[in-house]
Amino acid sequence: MYYGRSVRCGARSVAPPPGGRTLVKKTVSVFALLGANILGGFAIQAAPVQGAAQAPAMTVGVRRITETQYRHTIADVFGPAIKVEARFEPERREEGLLALGSAMLSLTSSGFEQYFALARSISEQVLSEQGRETAVACQPTDAAKPDAECARQFVARYGELLFRRPLTPAEIQSRLNISARGAKQTGDFYAGLELALTSLLVAPEFLFRIESAEPDPAAPHQYRLDAFSKATRLSFLLWDTTPDAELLSAARSGALHSQDELERQVDRMLAAPKFNDGARAFFADMFQLDGFGNLVKDPSIYPKFDQSVAEAAREQMLLRTIDLLVRRQGDYRDLFTARDAFLNRSLAAVYQVPYASRAQWMTYVFPQDSERSGILTDIGFLALHAHPGTSSPTRRGIKVLEIFMCQATPQPPANVDFSTVQDSTKGTVRGRLLDHMENEGCSGCHRRTDPLGLALEHFDGLGQLRTMENGVPIDVTAQLKNITIEGARGVGEYLRNEPKVPACLVRNVYSYGVGEKTYGRDKAYLAEQTKAFIASGYRFPALVRQVASSPEFFKVIAPKSKPKAPVAEATVTQLQSTVE
Amino acid sequence: MKLRFDRRSVLKGMLGGSAVYVGLPVLDAFLNSNGTAFAGGAPLPVRFGTYFWGLGLTDTPTGGTRWVPTKVGPGYELMPELEALQAVKDKVSVFSGFRVIGDGRANLVHWTGHAAILSGVAPATATRFDAASFDTKVADAIGTSTRFKSIDIDASVSRQPVSYSTRTGSTFASPDATPLALYTRLFGPDFQDPNSDDWKPNPSIMLRQSVLSAVTEQRRALMMGLGKEDQMKMDQYFSSVRDLENQLAVQLQKPEKREACVLPQAPQDPTRVSSVDIVNSNTKVMAKLLAMGLACNQSRVFTFVHTSGASETYLPGQSKIYHQITHDEPTDAQLGYQPETSKLASEVMKGLGVFLGELDAIKEGEGTLLDNSIVLAFSDTGYAKIHAIENIPMFLAGRAGGRHKAGQHIAGKGDSVTRVSLTAMQLAGAPVGEFGVGSMKTSNPIGEVIA
Repeated sequence: MYYGRSVRCGARSVAPPPGGRTLVKKTVSVFALLGANILGGFAIQAAPVQGAAQAPAMTVGVRRITETQYRHTIADVFGPAIKVEARFEPERREEGLLALGSAMLSLTSSGFEQYFALARSISEQVLSEQGRETAVACQPTDAAKPDAECARQFVARYGELLFRRPLTPAEIQSRLNISARGAKQTGDFYAGLELALTSLLVAPEFLFRIESAEPDPAAPHQYRLDAFSKATRLSFLLWDTTPDAELLSAARSGALHSQDELERQVDRMLAAPKFNDGARAFFADMFQLDGFGNLVKDPSIYPKFDQSVAEAAREQMLLRTIDLLVRRQGDYRDLFTARDAFLNRSLAAVYQVPYASRAQWMTYVFPQDSERSGILTDIGFLALHAHPGTSSPTRRGIKVLEIFMCQATPQPPANVDFSTVQDSTKGTVRGRLLDHMENEGCSGCHRRTDPLGLALEHFDGLGQLRTMENGVPIDVTAQLKNITIEGARGVGEYLRNEPKVPACLVRNVYSYGVGEKTYGRDKAYLAEQTKAFIASGYRFPALVRQVASSPEFFKVIAPKSKPKAPVAEATVTQLQSTVE
Repeated sequence: MKLRFDRRSVLKGMLGGSAVYVGLPVLDAFLNSNGTAFAGGAPLPVRFGTYFWGLGLTDTPTGGTRWVPTKVGPGYELMPELEALQAVKDKVSVFSGFRVIGDGRANLVHWTGHAAILSGVAPATATRFDAASFDTKVADAIGTSTRFKSIDIDASVSRQPVSYSTRTGSTFASPDATPLALYTRLFGPDFQDPNSDDWKPNPSIMLRQSVLSAVTEQRRALMMGLGKEDQMKMDQYFSSVRDLENQLAVQLQKPEKREACVLPQAPQDPTRVSSVDIVNSNTKVMAKLLAMGLACNQSRVFTFVHTSGASETYLPGQSKIYHQITHDEPTDAQLGYQPETSKLASEVMKGLGVFLGELDAIKEGEGTLLDNSIVLAFSDTGYAKIHAIENIPMFLAGRAGGRHKAGQHIAGKGDSVTRVSLTAMQLAGAPVGEFGVGSMKTSNPIGEVIA
């Protein structure tokens, strides 16, 4: 049911088994399967657990932080006035989530150049004449000279906030060295600090979330995520930012390892306004709202489209989502059927609705018989998954399945005979796609994807309502297995009642938080979470609470010692990015 | 087979037939005979780049080819879809009939073709390459003495920035995707005019270097106990740090004078429309900036994307995109090809024409920048209608400072595309003797085009 490859070498070989004792035996059998060459790498990490109390920590995950995580962190640590102007490295979606892609990405040379320039600009702002008063708590003895003690305080304080853990003495010392050298060379203590701060901001420990595990004192032979890594997971899931002082303090004292304290922290974080940011970041990722900045439409076909419409369309989807799921703590299924929408002036023109408000945004309830209902009829969804000059039922269908039901569509076959396909300047797109559905190589997928998209055909490539295409009325009935769907409202109703929809949300919250794909062995856990989510009345905050306070959320997953699964399995479930 | 007894072929023979042109010092006397490689006695460097466009060119199974010349060897005839190359034809070699050999791997549409050309192996998944793209190897070999090891450009006005340059196979370069971004990178505040008479080292650069040293000092501690994939990520991170260190070091040296270098005006960004006319004019503006960046010795290596695989470009005002047209348009029975598709292919090739024209417009020594460059231009497919990965159009443009015997048509007869890639690397001067994996592994470059 979920995405997944059947072969997963090495992943999760140290996930703590329920009984604890069986670990050694279990790992041995995994090693036997994988071959001796990775045993070496693993043994170094596992061996010290046998007897020693001070086994080394092990790194279990490295994830590049996203643009919003970067921005939120800088605003939280240095204040919202700091300007963050840069081009961020492109992100990549894996199995439906950028959060999974960011666990695979590194930094390119030009990307690092950008981060370096950005770090210099941030440090300069933080330590400007006005900025330093709030940013630097201590006074140097002489502002024209190095001051090791004041520099140490500064580096230790911001280092912990940026690295999401206390710095090691060596990490502090190397920054003290730069700051002393810089102060000497420029005759300015603050110029030295600026260099030290820049070096914190370009360090891999800031630009990547490096999660580490330590031997579990409660269970001999097992590892647990260390308290700072736990705090970081919570903070990025719930707030999309670095842990705050209170969370760091719960990590420092070790209190975060207790279930009570964990639940207390999760509740505190859910109640904080920053939970809005966390939820926005999550839904922007899950709903794939990252393509709007570069969305292009042909101006002669869609004269109403411009960049402000694109940006408003994205915001509209987020407003709908956050208002329903966070502010009103509503039923997730209403997302697909609610007749109300947020509009601003430029969207109102596209929706052909009079804009009767002085505010930037107004809510508007579409009439009972309107075809607009739910997030799928927001122009954002409709325009993003279309072509520059036409709609695309296939793309929309693929995205409905992928985004809301976690169903991947395989790559189209390479050698397809399209020669019977009719000329699409005549009639509706349905005719063209029916050819696909009859073609043996294509039908398997197109029968799944196209009906959902065809039912949305009353919306053109920009999401504007229409009933005709090339002078022919558009038929929006669609046959999906045994169900007949009628138009956009039919698609909304279908999603509302489809059990894969809540299961997909649960899977995404979990995967997004832990930065790992889900596999067959997670099935029981996910099923249980889905049940609880349904029992809660499909409430999103309740879901986040359950997931974030469950032990599985902090499960230690061993780093892969061996690259990728074999070819054949890997190609089948590949997500489609270039279709049609 | 023709017997040639020049210095290279003798060496080649001595080393058992494997290709070892590379790594040879470029002897003045040797290159002088070509007449273009020198300006005032100092060798002008060879620049290397890749140029990619999506959706191939028209060559139908029914024999309706619109780009493969009939004549093999020098003096090929200019086929209709190549007309945009008219002005630089003598500096361009055409490679037809080369193919991707998947060794059982599926043809991942609009991905396998260029992935194989660049990385030497048909990839397992459609978001990654299974190996680094070879432009990074060339950059490591010839790109370390300039400010930028490589300049990556995307002119396609696509939804996502497109680059096919990768060191790890999973992280792709983040290209400059607008003229202004490219201008700022090349000629922004950190640009040092090589022709300036009052050059002084900028002391703040040394301070910037110290910032990076604190990062690299922690490398060992960080790398300990990392899993393999995390190690790869961190390796790339630190290699990016090294590139920046190198960049700063280069900026502390007095730049060599560059006659052709003239600081250009800051450009305007075009409106974001992906129709082919806009993409072509974007290509021209960005090619001009790039050419000047190369002439000013800011980089010696570049990767350029005109349109992505499965290109979304279109004729202005038309509702169907190029990609859709390649699949849907029936083959005209009389013509033997798809007329609309072929028209779009010709439009797309205008991009390559203006691109090469900009490199050729800059005078360098007795020749042009293009004479001192080698550009591998290629696509994702052969005949796009069926996603063919046979007969993917490939071109080598520029004389590589005299090393490239340009102006020929080479018929590959089903050989692996990697032979062309290897040839490009060697013409660029990268010390690479072998390229590719499995059936695409080759140590046999295309000798006919190597001087």
